[in-house]
Amino acid sequence: MRKTLLSLSVIGSLMAGVAIAQDADAFRDGFIAGDISWEDVQARAKEEGQVNLYYWGGSDKINIWMDSVAVPALAAEGVTLNPVRITGTKDAVDLVLAEKGSGKGLGEGSVDAIWVNGENFATLKRQDALMGAFADKLPNSANIEWNPEDPRALLNLRDFGVETNASEMPWSGQQYVCAVNTTRVPADQVPGTFAELMNYLEANPGKFTYVKPPHFIGNTFVQATVYALNPEGNSAVPFQSSIDELGAAELARLITPGMEYLKALEPHLLGAGGNARYPEDPKALDGLFLNGEIDFSCQFGLYGVATGLRDGTYPEGAEQFIFPEGNMIKNKNYLVIPGNAPNPAAAMVMANYMASVDSQATKLEIAGMPPGIDPWKLSADDAAKLDAASPGLVGVTQADLDANTAPDTNATLVDVIEATWLEYIERDSSESIASIVETAVANLN
Amino acid sequence: MARESASVALNERLSPYQKLYLLLIAGFILGPFIPLIIQSFAFKWAWPDLLPGTWWLEQREKSVLPLAWDYVISPYSQVWEATLNTVFIGCVVTLIALVICLPAARVLARENFRGKPAFEFFLSMPLIVPEAAIGIALLMIFINIGLAGTYIGIIIVHLIPTIPYMIRMLTAVYQGLGRDFEEQAMILGASRWQILRMVTLPMLLPGVVAGALFTFLVSTNIFLLTFFMGQGKIVTLPTLLFSKISGGTLDASAAGITLVVTMPGIILLLITERFIKEEAFGKGFGN
Repeated sequence: MRKTLLSLSVIGSLMAGVAIAQDADAFRDGFIAGDISWEDVQARAKEEGQVNLYYWGGSDKINIWMDSVAVPALAAEGVTLNPVRITGTKDAVDLVLAEKGSGKGLGEGSVDAIWVNGENFATLKRQDALMGAFADKLPNSANIEWNPEDPRALLNLRDFGVETNASEMPWSGQQYVCAVNTTRVPADQVPGTFAELMNYLEANPGKFTYVKPPHFIGNTFVQATVYALNPEGNSAVPFQSSIDELGAAELARLITPGMEYLKALEPHLLGAGGNARYPEDPKALDGLFLNGEIDFSCQFGLYGVATGLRDGTYPEGAEQFIFPEGNMIKNKNYLVIPGNAPNPAAAMVMANYMASVDSQATKLEIAGMPPGIDPWKLSADDAAKLDAASPGLVGVTQADLDANTAPDTNATLVDVIEATWLEYIERDSSESIASIVETAVANLN
Repeated sequence: MARESASVALNERLSPYQKLYLLLIAGFILGPFIPLIIQSFAFKWAWPDLLPGTWWLEQREKSVLPLAWDYVISPYSQVWEATLNTVFIGCVVTLIALVICLPAARVLARENFRGKPAFEFFLSMPLIVPEAAIGIALLMIFINIGLAGTYIGIIIVHLIPTIPYMIRMLTAVYQGLGRDFEEQAMILGASRWQILRMVTLPMLLPGVVAGALFTFLVSTNIFLLTFFMGQGKIVTLPTLLFSKISGGTLDASAAGITLVVTMPGIILLLITERFIKEEAFGKGFGN
C-alpha cells in the first residue's frame, strides 16, 4: 500500500513537472513567434511573481543600485527581483548546466537570468542552454540597434564573435582602457604603443603588470597585444573568424609576435628580476595601482577612473590614456535567460526594465556602468538624460576612444590564445608556439 | 576578585622570557585585527602611508553612496541577513547533531559489537574525504530531489562534517562518566527518566556544551558546502565574506564585514567560556 502511494506521488510530481515544462515551453514558443502580446507576458510575470538574477556581486556600487533602484522598480511591475550575488559568473553557468543535466526544463530550474560576458555566453550556447530569441522582441529593445546593415549593430549581434541571435540582452557597453598615475609618470613618457611600453619598463623596471589569464580582463590584454603585433598589420580582422575557419597553423603564425613580445616583457613586469607577478583579478590590480606599485593599470572601465577617484580606489592624479593605439577592445556584456529559467515571463519583464532609459541612466550614475543601449536610437531628451548621468571620462575624450576601437576576439580563439599564454608564458614551455597552439586546438575538441 | 588575585600571582610567577612569549602569542592572535580595524575606517589607504591618507568620516558627507561602516550596516551589504541565516542554521544543526549523537555516543562508549572499529572509522570518513567531492555529488542529488537552494539542504550537508566531531566529543564524555552513578541511582529507586534528567544529563552537560559549541562554530564556518547547496540564494557569513574578499584586496566595507564575521564565534566563546570552566574544570566530575 505504502509503495503504491509512494509511486503514485512520484508519478504525480513527475506529471506536474511535465505539465509545468509544457506550459512554459508553449509560452516561450508563442512569445518568440510573436503570438503572445506584451500585456500577456506582464500578466504571466505577475503570476510567476519573482525572478532570480545571478550577477557578479563584488562591487558595492552595483549592489546598492540593484537593491535600491532595480528591486523597487520591478516591485512596481508586480515582480519581486531576487538579486543573487555570486563570485564567479561561471558558478551560475555551472548551476544551469547541472540542472539541465538532471533534466530540468523551462519553468523548473533555479536561474532566471545571468549577467554574462562572451565566454560564458558561448558556453551556454554550445550546451544548448539558452531560452531563445527574446531580446529583440521586448518593448524596450527599440533602444538597441539590431539592424545588421548598421556596422554599429555588431556589438549587439555578436558577443566574442559568437552570434547572439537575440538570446541575450545588451546590458552595458565597455571598452578596455588603461589608466596612468600622472603624479609618477611625466606626460611625454606615457606610452601609446607596445614598443613604447617596453622602453618605459626598461627604464622603470617593475612598474607595470596585467591581470593573469584565464581571467577575461587578462585575456583581453593578451588579445590587444596580439592585435597590435599582428604580422599582417590588419590588427583585429583575422581574429573575427572561428578556429575552424582560421586553422591552428595560421592562428599560431598570427599570434607569434604578440606572444614573443609578452615573453620579452615578462622580466620587466612587477617583481622585475625575480618572478613576474600577475594579479588574479581587477580588484587586486586596482590595489597595486592605488599603492603606486605599478604606474599603469589596464581593464574594462570607461568610467573606472572617475568612479575610482570618487570612492577612493584610484590614486589622485589617475588619468585615462589611449593605449594601445587603434586596438582598444570594445564589447558589450549581456543579460542571458537560460533554457531552464523557472520564471521566463518575469525574466523578460526584468530584461525589459534593464533596457529602459531610466534603469540605464541610474545604473550609470550610481554604479558607473556604461549604458548598453545605443544613444542614437533614443529621443534627444533620453540621450541627454544618459549623458547627464555619466560620471565622465578623465584625460581622454569620447572621440579619442571611438577612433581607437577594436572588436573582441572570436570565442573559439579566446580559449586557444588563453591556453597558449598559460603554456608559453606561465609554464615557460620550451615548445614552439606552433605546436602549443596545435595541442590547444586539439584539446578543444 | 578571585580572578584579579590570580592574575597578579601569575604576573609575579612568570619570568620575563615567558612574558615575552605570551606577548608574542597575543600579538599573533590579535595582530591581524589591527590593520583590519584601521582599514574598516579608511577611505583611501595607500602604500607607504602608515595610516589612511583619507578617513571614511571625512568623505562621509560628500559621498552619494554609503561607504565603509555605513555600507556594512546598510541592508545592501546583506550582513544582517547573513548573520541571521548563519545563527539559525548553526542552532538547528547543533540541535539535530545532539539528538543524533547522544544515543550513538552512549552505545559507542559502553557497548561492544561486531565491526565497531570499522564503524568508528566510517564515522570519521567525512573528516577525511574532501568537502568538494561530497559537495558536487550531493548537489547533483539535491537538485534532483529539490533540496538545492533550501535551508533543509544546507542543514543536511552541515550535519556531514559536524557529526564526527560531536560523536567523538560525546563518546569521550560518556567514557569518562562510567555506569556507576546511573546504577547507583537505579538502586536507590530512580526511574529511567529521573536518571536521565537528574544524573546523566547534568554530568554530561559540560561535554554537551563543549560539543555543541564546537558544532556551532564548525557549522558557522563551512563555506564550500554552504556555497554549493545555497546556490548563492541563501547567504551566510562565510559565503558573504568570500564574495567580498575574493578580489584579493581589502577595502573598507570588506574589512568591516570581516570583523562582523568574527563576532558570533567570539560572543559564543565569551558566553560559554565561563560556564565550561566552572562546570567541567572547576567542579570536575564526581565532586
